[in-house]
This record gives sequence, structure tokens and C-alpha cells, in this order.
Amino acid sequence: MDDKESPRERIMTVKDAEERKDMIFEDVLKLLVQELDISPTEINRDVQIMEELNFDSLQMYELVIDLEEAYDIRLPDELLETVKTVGDVVDLVYSRSVETEV
Amino acid sequence: MKIEEQEMADCLVRILENVILTEEKSIQKGYFSNLSIAEMHTLDAIGPYDARTMTETASSLGITTGTLTVSIDRLVKKGYVERKRDENDRRIVRISLTREGKIASRMHGKFHNVLARHILEPYSDEEKETLMRLVNDIDHYLEAQVKKYDNAQSIRKTAREVADETRRRNDNG
Repeated sequence: MDDKESPRERIMTVKDAEERKDMIFEDVLKLLVQELDISPTEINRDVQIMEELNFDSLQMYELVIDLEEAYDIRLPDELLETVKTVGDVVDLVYSRSVETEV
Repeated sequence: MKIEEQEMADCLVRILENVILTEEKSIQKGYFSNLSIAEMHTLDAIGPYDARTMTETASSLGITTGTLTVSIDRLVKKGYVERKRDENDRRIVRISLTREGKIASRMHGKFHNVLARHILEPYSDEEKETLMRLVNDIDHYLEAQVKKYDNAQSIRKTAREVADETRRRNDNG
């Protein structure tokens, strides 16, 4: 996520929801690969973060805070309770970014 | 009736002591063991999102800005808080949490929720509703008692003293 534009600005240039979600997925993937030192091919949207990637709550919050900063959004705990898979994270970041879109 | 009163009095004090002790032990055993309980609460008061002024933060903690300055100095040194001058008014200093600070505060927030979840877990929905009503009543009653005293700061100081005293007692025996 070291591109010139912020990830948030980048997704806003695209109108199509699926395309936006793909871009968010790429960012989430980058963060996960960085944290876990695994191949990106091992991760898809159905992968369970806590169960399959063995994320602990510290790693989960690191991911959440990095995404909050990158997308300039808030991801409070009550929204995180339903998050199980990588796809859930992507959907949540997408909906929060769109909610605050003017 | 007397027995009930005694039981209630003992329970209240024990709950206060044990919440503080559990909280402290969870911090000590966790990833952020270089933070004290008071420092963790300072992080919570700053909050994870917008930068706050020293005055705002001191007032929500019920302490003076002087006391807060000392604590913020330490937290800056430990890497949990950063200070920035306001871009529009250079006289104003704003404080915010670093990435580490945000993680610590959110992990700690989770501790409170997990504790509450475990307390509520064994009860049925109906029982939970009753329990919440009763706990809320106790909370409101105590809140009203605190408000009776003009100087809220001295109350907080007393609460801190009680907590410190409890810790000392437990450490010694």
C-alpha cells in the first residue's frame, strides 16, 4: 500500500462495486502476506482468518487498524463480530468506504 | 436483613477490587505489559480516532493537565502516544495514539467485553434482562452518590487509593 494515491482514493476512481472489492481484496492480501509470510495463492476470500490463518486477536487488530488508516474508515468492534473470512473483511471495508463517500 | 446488607457490602467491595485486579493482571500478562492500568485508561480517554487536546483528555479522566502531562510524557517515550501542534493554531498541542497505542487500547477494550460476555453467558435471555436491570439500578444509584460530592476529583483519588491499597495487600499476602 505504498502507492502514491491512498487506497481509499484509488477505489473511489472506480464505480463498479465488484471492481472496488477486488482492489480492496488485493490490499488485504498484501497485508496478510506481509504479516504471515505465506504465498498469496494460499489465500482466497473464503479463508477463515482466525481458524485457518491462525490469527490471534493482536494480529486481527493490527490488520483492522492498518485498514482503518489506509481507507480512512472506522471499524468498531461491534462490526468486527460478524467478520469470519477474508471476504467478510473485504465486504466490511467496502461498505464502510462507500458509506462515508460524498 | 442485616445479613443481606453485609453480603451486599462485601460483594460491592470485592467486585470493585477484583475487576481492578483482573484488569491489571490481564495487562501484565498480555502484549502490553509495560503499560500500567492508569496509562491504559489514558489511552482509552484519548480514543482511537481523532486527536484531542490536553484539556479535553484531562477533563474526561478527571485529572489536572499537569498530571496528564507527566503521564503523556511517559506514553510518548514508550511509543504509544504522539504530540502534534495544531496546524491552524500552533499554540494548541494535540495528542493522538500511535499504531501501537491504538492496538493496546483496542485489545484492552476487548478485555472488558470478554469479561462481560463471560459473566452473562450462563443466563437465559430473560435472566439477562433482569440482571441488566438490577445492575443498571446499582450503577445509577452509585453514580448519583458520586454526583453528590462537588469535587469529583477527590472521589477518583479515593478510588485510586482503595485500588492501590488492595494491590499492596494482595502483593503482601
